[in-house]
Amino acid sequence: MLRPDIGTPASYTFPKPRRITVGGGTVVAIDVPGQRLASLRLVHPYGGAVEPLDAMGVSSLTSEVLEDGPAGNSSLAPALERHGAEWVSRVNWDGFITGLDAPANRLGEAVRLFADAVRRPALAPDDIVRRRDQLLERFWLEAASASTLAMRSLGGQLFTGRYATPLAGGPVRLAEVEPETVAAFHADSIASVAGTLVVVGDLSGVDLEDLGKTVFGDAAATPVREVAAPAPPPGELPRVLIVDRPGSVQSALVIAHRAPSRSQVDLPRAEGISEVLGGLFTSRLNMELRERLGYTYGAGSRFDLRRDSGVFFATTQVEADTTAHSITASLEQIAKLRSSGVTAEELASVRDSNTVGLPVSYSTARAMASALVDMVVHDLPDDYVDRHRAGYEALTEDKLNSAAEEYLHPEEAVVVVVGDAERLSGPLADIGAGPVEVRSPESLWS
Amino acid sequence: MTTIGAAGRVGQYTLDNGLRLVTAPASTGQVASVNLWYGVGSRHEVPGRTGFAHLFEHLMFQGSGNVAKGEHFEEVERLGGDINASTSTDRTNYYETVPEHALDRVLWLEADRLETLRDGMTQEVLDNQRDVVKNERRQRYDNQPYGTALERILRLAYPEGHPYHHPTIGSMADLDDADLDYVKSFHKAHYGPDNCVLTVVSDLDPEDVLARVEKYFGHLPARDFVPEAPDASLPEPLGGPVRDAVTETVPAAGVFLGYRVAAYGEREFDVMHLASAVLGQGQGSRLYRSLVVDRPIAADDGGGAADILPFRYTDSLLLVNMLAREGVSGDVLEEAMREEIAKLAAGITEEELDRARAVLERDHLQSISSPSGLADSIGSCTQLFGDPELAYTWPERWTDITAEEVRAAAERLMVDDNLLVVRFDPETAGADAAPAS
Repeated sequence: MLRPDIGTPASYTFPKPRRITVGGGTVVAIDVPGQRLASLRLVHPYGGAVEPLDAMGVSSLTSEVLEDGPAGNSSLAPALERHGAEWVSRVNWDGFITGLDAPANRLGEAVRLFADAVRRPALAPDDIVRRRDQLLERFWLEAASASTLAMRSLGGQLFTGRYATPLAGGPVRLAEVEPETVAAFHADSIASVAGTLVVVGDLSGVDLEDLGKTVFGDAAATPVREVAAPAPPPGELPRVLIVDRPGSVQSALVIAHRAPSRSQVDLPRAEGISEVLGGLFTSRLNMELRERLGYTYGAGSRFDLRRDSGVFFATTQVEADTTAHSITASLEQIAKLRSSGVTAEELASVRDSNTVGLPVSYSTARAMASALVDMVVHDLPDDYVDRHRAGYEALTEDKLNSAAEEYLHPEEAVVVVVGDAERLSGPLADIGAGPVEVRSPESLWS
Repeated sequence: MTTIGAAGRVGQYTLDNGLRLVTAPASTGQVASVNLWYGVGSRHEVPGRTGFAHLFEHLMFQGSGNVAKGEHFEEVERLGGDINASTSTDRTNYYETVPEHALDRVLWLEADRLETLRDGMTQEVLDNQRDVVKNERRQRYDNQPYGTALERILRLAYPEGHPYHHPTIGSMADLDDADLDYVKSFHKAHYGPDNCVLTVVSDLDPEDVLARVEKYFGHLPARDFVPEAPDASLPEPLGGPVRDAVTETVPAAGVFLGYRVAAYGEREFDVMHLASAVLGQGQGSRLYRSLVVDRPIAADDGGGAADILPFRYTDSLLLVNMLAREGVSGDVLEEAMREEIAKLAAGITEEELDRARAVLERDHLQSISSPSGLADSIGSCTQLFGDPELAYTWPERWTDITAEEVRAAAERLMVDDNLLVVRFDPETAGADAAPAS
């Protein structure tokens, strides 16, 4: 049977959110009739990037401690669980985000618990110390996974200052965060600051104004955050860092370099070129390392763009014996993209997937809430998704080719390899990716 | 056959070749989620041929009679769609969510590989994907701390030769032995329209969806013969406690406990699902309160210590897993977990039961809140139980289960002679850590 034509896509417009100002805060909401599970998110503009250097990890620790609730002793989650609600709390470099996923018809009860948890937590010193010690131990539990260790090693290779230490403060600096530091951070940055409340789901019967009053109370308006670029990276570039993990049957690889900040980047061009290289299953890195060479289960790349800076990275996991060739093969793919540019098919693939694919991207309340959170954190307009789509529709081969030149810089990369140093050091010294340094995981953070 | 579900949400059809189609509405517009559940999983594998059902999941994306290697992925990604596949003991499923206008193309791609996959299969493709799968095994099992836990658990839980004795990834040796003829015969034996449930979640009229599915799948013949699945009965009780003790480079002692419980779909399974939630799901669960917050000797898992592996055709497994805090030995943690589990037999409160129901219901709602999750749940309920409506009504199964029922089942099942233990202890144990007894 002949392959059927793909029809004409329906035009897609991201739902226009409803905005209401309540007290010092703003509610931003999208009604999705029939979506019984609502996503609610409260955004404060205090991520890891603005933490003082003597309190690194305080926002992550505070985020954890909120789960102890107004009564302390891990009381929040059980209380919410009885309402079928799931507590959401996470910190990234640019935002402190708390929230709930809850049945829309039980939102009112759950949100009262939520507001108390965010504005009036117990912050008992015993709870804080217990959570801090658990976070410190969890750091090493998670870092026992090679790919996690590789990603956590990147900051110290690309930045000085705050970004050199992992988001949650790392195994050394977090230990110095005391209960009173957490209490002060919470009082200044969370309790007394209204933030922005995002709500997505079936909102028939939900009084948004009432929701806003409950969550914002008499908290002050959210201040505008100042942005300053972080310090440049230390050391010679390019270079290779081997983080020794003796006996590893695979190596976790990350090829990474610095990138401009989110507002400085032309996003459709930058993300577009990253998709051609490694953002899709059919991208060049995956096709070469997985589908042609059979070296790996998967390879990819992407940008991590923050308000004041950015990182580009490509990742994969391969056997020790194919590690060196996997790096050179990846660098060759980047070089080829820069010298020869993209194909018409690649352009079409990137353009189409980011335009006609939008109904798929936003087919859940969570995904829409996540887009709204992103818009709040990065000060983007309500029609941002549509503008972004227009940027992709206007892409050309020339625009992607110039993006490869502008945003991909393997000559400034640090290659982090987490694996068996004894087997890797020799081969990696010969690949021309710069000097090779071997470190133990324990020595990476101070 | 055509039926429309009582709530008007679900349409059910069976094509002449045996393919079952289910349609359901999406909660957001302009998308179509397509999900194919084939009734073949690792339980159909025989000793010496493990890993084939999963290897197939890979080969299905490597080209067919009219589709080049990688082209299936490319087509869907170009539409901004989501695409993947997964293999379990009981089934292999393939799924795509695409903008609605592309539904015909996806149905055609799926029908083409069902009909002509064997035409596109070459030794080169097989060799490449075998390498990929071996690297998947290294990444997920062999290079991951505690990565071999599931493999060890299944080995203890089900006897040698039993179809649930091995994990879906299979063994390296069996993957090495895969040959092209066997691969082709596996496809012929299991991939027929009569062994498939096709679910489409979209805003389209169900009759319209049916017409399209008829167009692309209607002419495909059912299988000549239906292979018999290996016998999954369990004549003997577990005879526990049975143990596997591992000493290797893990960051902390890890304790994995398992109990055989009823097959997925039986009432006892639902009762034990509630027991697992009381015990170890959520921060209000007993293990979290007792071993993470109060004592505290276990690493903070956020309230994810217990769950059930749902097996339809043999006993399921209730699993409990925790990692030790620094300076806490595996023995101390294991003893504490077993003590806490034993307390279930003394009874649970109504409040605990309500919380457990709420936690499980929330998880269920979460899983069907996306069009792809809903399609998957419908495919599961149709393939395993012949009832797609269960995807919507599953939480009702918990409403009439009583606290006494949970207590009594725990007293009967969560006992030492139904217990398996897999213990990981670090090579360089702390001063107070003792070797496994």
